[in-house]
Amino acid sequence: MSTVTETHEPSTHTGDKHVLKPERSNLGLMRPDHNKSVLVDWLTTVDHKKIGIMYGAIALFFLLVGGLEALIIRTQLAFPENDLISAQRYNQLFTMHGTTMIFLAIMPLNAAFFNFLVPLQIGARDVAFPRINSFSLWAFVAGALVLNFGWVLQALEVMGLFSASGPTAGMNDFVPSMGWFGYAPITGKEFTGAGTDFWIMGLQILGIASLSAAMNFVVTIINMRAPGMKMMRMPVFTWMTLVVSLLIVFAFPAITIALAQLMFDRTFGTSFFVTAGGGQPILWQHLFWIFGHPEVYILVLPAMGIVSEVLPAFSKKPLFGYAIVVFSGAVIGFLGFAVWSHHMFTTGLGKVATAAFSLLTMAIAVPTGVKIFNWVGTLWGGRVRFAPPMIFALGFVWMFMMGGFSGIMHSSAPADAQQQDSYFVIAHFHYVAIGGIFLAVVSGIYFWLPKIVGKMWKGKLSTWVAIFATVGLNVTFFPMHFLGLIGMPRRTHTYLEGFGWETYNLICTIGAYILAFGILLLVVDIIRCIRSGEPAGDDPWDARTLEWATTSPPQVYNFGRTPVITARDALWEHKHGPENRRIQYEEDDGHGIHMPSQSWMPMIASLGFVPLGLGLSLKQAGVPYMGYVAIFGLFMISLGIALWAIEGPGGYHLHPEEEK
Amino acid sequence: MKKLTHGLTRFTSLALALLAIAFFGGCDVNTRMSTFDTKGPIAETQLDLFWLTVWVTTFIFIVVGGVFLVAIVKFRERPNDTSPMPAQGHGNPLVEIGLIGASVLLLVIIAVPTLQAIWYTHDTPTDEHSKLGNWYPGEDLAEGSEDEVLIIRVIGYRWWWEFEYPQLGINTANEMVIPSGRAVHLELRSVDVIHSFWLPRIAGKVDLIPGRANAMWIQAGDNFASWAEKSGAEGSELELQTAYQKYLKDEIHDYYYGQCAEYCGDSHARMLFRSTAVSDDEFAAWVDSQRVGHTAPEGKSWDEWYAAYDSNPELLTGDINEGAKVFMGRGKCIACHAVTGNPRAVGVAGPDLTNVGDRLSIASGWLNHHTEEDVLDEEKQYDNFVKWLKHTDDVKPGNLMWKSKGNGIGELIDPEDPEKIKLLTDEEINYLARYLQSLK
Repeated sequence: MSTVTETHEPSTHTGDKHVLKPERSNLGLMRPDHNKSVLVDWLTTVDHKKIGIMYGAIALFFLLVGGLEALIIRTQLAFPENDLISAQRYNQLFTMHGTTMIFLAIMPLNAAFFNFLVPLQIGARDVAFPRINSFSLWAFVAGALVLNFGWVLQALEVMGLFSASGPTAGMNDFVPSMGWFGYAPITGKEFTGAGTDFWIMGLQILGIASLSAAMNFVVTIINMRAPGMKMMRMPVFTWMTLVVSLLIVFAFPAITIALAQLMFDRTFGTSFFVTAGGGQPILWQHLFWIFGHPEVYILVLPAMGIVSEVLPAFSKKPLFGYAIVVFSGAVIGFLGFAVWSHHMFTTGLGKVATAAFSLLTMAIAVPTGVKIFNWVGTLWGGRVRFAPPMIFALGFVWMFMMGGFSGIMHSSAPADAQQQDSYFVIAHFHYVAIGGIFLAVVSGIYFWLPKIVGKMWKGKLSTWVAIFATVGLNVTFFPMHFLGLIGMPRRTHTYLEGFGWETYNLICTIGAYILAFGILLLVVDIIRCIRSGEPAGDDPWDARTLEWATTSPPQVYNFGRTPVITARDALWEHKHGPENRRIQYEEDDGHGIHMPSQSWMPMIASLGFVPLGLGLSLKQAGVPYMGYVAIFGLFMISLGIALWAIEGPGGYHLHPEEEK
Repeated sequence: MKKLTHGLTRFTSLALALLAIAFFGGCDVNTRMSTFDTKGPIAETQLDLFWLTVWVTTFIFIVVGGVFLVAIVKFRERPNDTSPMPAQGHGNPLVEIGLIGASVLLLVIIAVPTLQAIWYTHDTPTDEHSKLGNWYPGEDLAEGSEDEVLIIRVIGYRWWWEFEYPQLGINTANEMVIPSGRAVHLELRSVDVIHSFWLPRIAGKVDLIPGRANAMWIQAGDNFASWAEKSGAEGSELELQTAYQKYLKDEIHDYYYGQCAEYCGDSHARMLFRSTAVSDDEFAAWVDSQRVGHTAPEGKSWDEWYAAYDSNPELLTGDINEGAKVFMGRGKCIACHAVTGNPRAVGVAGPDLTNVGDRLSIASGWLNHHTEEDVLDEEKQYDNFVKWLKHTDDVKPGNLMWKSKGNGIGELIDPEDPEKIKLLTDEEINYLARYLQSLK
């Protein structure tokens, strides 16, 4: 790497970035650096901040899509024997609602925060592998496209323009309809059509995106910390990113294998999950939940990280028990791999296994509780300021606690036998997902958007967002506890009158619309902030961590000179601590800041997943020539990676000090 | 800030009001599938545990939530606050260890009864009271089953339930009959995808998984011993037995609602079932009627009826005979359905229709025909049969009876347009409904 940069150095060493010119890569092609076209610049960017913003924007889009799906579901259930949508459409909507929210909304929202914040929080110039970062983003986009492509086919089918032939002839479900955890054998060829293939390919691609991003962050956090940023000085959010990245690295292989086996079952006639061929459907559940339970923590730990940043900032106090919060996060991550079968209490595990998983599930409540205690401890004795991020963070603590309590109820396996697969479970995980994760993410948006766009929030719309979101979520999901306990099973597209479910369902539906309105207000507020906010300044909240020490928005190189960290809560100590805890900066050696070159190749490689995934899925639906399309996709991926390797990393130098 | 506090107060009161509506608006939790209205030791154990978890978590909620609220009120930033920076405390190991210890203790309170309940609800009891030989008043038990409890093999199909009684040699569908106060062992099987057996007032779920032999036990009401212990009743053996029978009659003999709880495809929402808990004698009588099955219409023997049917069907007249002819002939019903007694109705792909006219619902519990008091409403029953036969696919989208048009009822395909199914005429369907009603 160094040899290449050395050769390019003289041409850029002019001290003025306006004369920076793109170089030719080792392929002889012009690199897309310093491109005047905004579109090209964003498509080829390797800047972690731009990638983070794109993750965030796409995730917010899918949050609205998933929310719309939820609204249709709730509208269908508002009245007994309602026939707004068919059973099949309903099943597709709840499948896609779950899959979308988990893989296309919450995970990428978390990824947006990882990307934007982690290098800033540890004082790095970028992530360890900027081009892999770009690859992860576009692979995520490719997976999202493949996963949702079924809607196009389904629309064609409704218009009478398409019907399946070939391996799935006679099946007319082109949007996944087997539930987000896709229990075998309903994912088999005799029960579901090409929708399942889109789902398999989509998730497989999203898994590749997540894995590459996770490894990137593990390497970044371990290797790229600024001098003095010891592990136990890292912001808790960065710590949680590290834990989550490790969880992804260990958890995703399980679902990768399961999906590959399922694909083989459907495409090549193997029998991993087919009883008639000696397979075991229950194997899927084990593999899925060995991934699926850590996945729950993959979703929630970043939220805990966000809240662990926001609460101290608005209490003017360090996080209570930093080490224990960090350690309990790691323990949660570890124990997360030991509780998967609590999703399977009703599958006939046997007494000993049921007891073991019951006890382990109770055990995982301890580190989770510890976090809550420490957040309360952070508030205690502080000076609590009800700024917008704080309101949502406090809401998180409260709502997450409620989700945690119903979680404890589930941990008692015999009690869970009544709750499993009923609306009680729906209530539980939505309190965790919306009351917990979503509120924390909104808190994070309110906290960091001024850093991201350099503009401050206008007015008090945030209060209304908080009111509508919290009221909406409670009105929607609190009655579901009762609904489940009086016998309403989940995933039912309609219900008979006379079971006492009518009132609850109607209230839930009304609540869903209140919640939706709150989310709409959030979008409005974000747009208002971006369009017409006042300049935010570097540190609008009197915050604590390193990202607030640089400009808002940060320069492309993050820090003009590498910061030298002397304490945890580096900026806070810098502002309010003793003299010897100031942030120092390394001397400028005249070498400049080495920036990575932008590249088309990661995007070309990852978008190759689109023809690959669509080709293999459409082949299942009997569309001709799709095998060739899939092969073209493979070729595109290989080509992208090969050219990426050959083109060389490139790079150029910036000299911000001289510009001043 | 004042505005904000105002907003928060408003929000809180609004939220509380709505929660109150949610809670009290549907206050009646003793509904048909309520896990609160338990009738049997398993559901009761599960409910007790549930309440225990509620109390423990409520306690934590009040303590932690209370401290949390105090913290944000007491330590909120006040306008024009000039006090010095709050003390920069980093935590307190003793507090942490104390809280961890306390949490573990609270969890132990839940854990111990949980373990007991796991063991209790898992193994089917082998008490003398429940052994078939000791209570079953009928005859013809399969060999060796006197020392076993009643076994019912529950088989899940998309989207209906088969209930087989191997020790008694009978088979029924969608409405199972169980003796009150006796433990029943359920063997759970599935022929296609995963289903889950949920009879909320009697027991929580266990899944029916293809390729896997799952089992559970259920019991409607207490057995004599635990009833005697709980009620504390005293008196002679005879008085106690009478009181126990009265308890069963008043509180346990009932028509229970159940439903598939694991997503199983298009009509998952319509895969319900029923369970009738009856006295020992009623149970034996029901078994006998299942064993005997049905004679041909008008009380004829089947030999006689078939002789007429095969030679000159025109001679068989009247609604029931017409319906029977459709059932055996153009309807092709017997290709998939069995009716005990009828030597030609031995299909196995669909629900057994023996005594289907006695059941209070069809289409696996989706179409109900009973009064508020769970008494058969014949007019509604007729309408339901007609609705089911005419609009099978609307009542249960994707069901096999509809999809199998190319197989079992192939004659019904319109030769002009093979895609189109030539349905039975309205008249034929009405006859068929009358015939099905007569199966009781």
